[in-house]
Amino acid sequence: MDRRSRMTKSSPGAAHQSPVASKKDRRPSMFEKEAYAQILRERLRESIHDVQYVEPPFDDSIADIGKEWKSALAKLKFANSYRMEPLKKFQAHSVETKIQQILKDSLKDVKYDDKSFSHLSLDLADRVLTAVKEFGYHRYKFIIKVLFIQKTGQAINIASRWIWDVAWDSWVQAKHETESYVALVLVFALYCE
Amino acid sequence: MEEYHRPCDEVGFNAEEAHNIVKECVDEVLGGEDYNQNNINQWTASIVEQSLAHLVKLGKAYKYIVTCAVVQRSAYGFHTASSCFWDTTSDGTCTVRWENRTMNCIVNVFAVAIVL
Repeated sequence: MDRRSRMTKSSPGAAHQSPVASKKDRRPSMFEKEAYAQILRERLRESIHDVQYVEPPFDDSIADIGKEWKSALAKLKFANSYRMEPLKKFQAHSVETKIQQILKDSLKDVKYDDKSFSHLSLDLADRVLTAVKEFGYHRYKFIIKVLFIQKTGQAINIASRWIWDVAWDSWVQAKHETESYVALVLVFALYCE
Repeated sequence: MEEYHRPCDEVGFNAEEAHNIVKECVDEVLGGEDYNQNNINQWTASIVEQSLAHLVKLGKAYKYIVTCAVVQRSAYGFHTASSCFWDTTSDGTCTVRWENRTMNCIVNVFAVAIVL
């Protein structure tokens, strides 16, 4: 809907910018403000985007509940613990073996199935989260990402970058490959100072 | 001794700003391009790095993790889920899905607050 309206707007724009009607339609110069917007529109003509998931939600109704509790907590003064580092540093290798085990157990003989996999991915993410919490790393926050990619001969490229405290924060990945799909689990552990 | 309480963390993670930043970065890198095996590594790396650089410029006390998956457009199935253990009042996430004629791109931003 959006795309169609944009296309009709660009044609009168082009006619306005080259009043001398040459045989070939010259592309307007980059230095005119409207022209830049038009070029951008042309480039992005075939692309669409949307926002899939946001937390806290845009309308902020649920977020307020947490804030009352939090401001009450701020009034309590905690004694300084003088702790500069975590009690137990995040050990990537032991977590990796555990997660690889979980993946192998839950995805043994599971074939790719459109309907059940969306539920399975959430289930697996929760399971991995409970397993990582069981390790007992204090004051660590965890982010688990689970990806299922069906193997149909297409190419996929996954990249991650982060800004965190290199001394205490770390990440772990586990991959489980079968004939019809690949399952990838990423775990990020961040120390809450 | 007074407790220094950062006023901006009270608002929590601003997902609107984050999604605008991500959308602009992806448009800049992938806008008008077709899927190309030679460039794809460079594109994913630059999307992620640029988003991260812009997020940091916001100047908030947050740790960021940005993940990007770019897939060639064809008939395939793709599921992704994430589960997080954090402080819901100050931390947040935002996922932006972008597509064009030849590829699909999903960018995920996780922001975890640093308590100073």
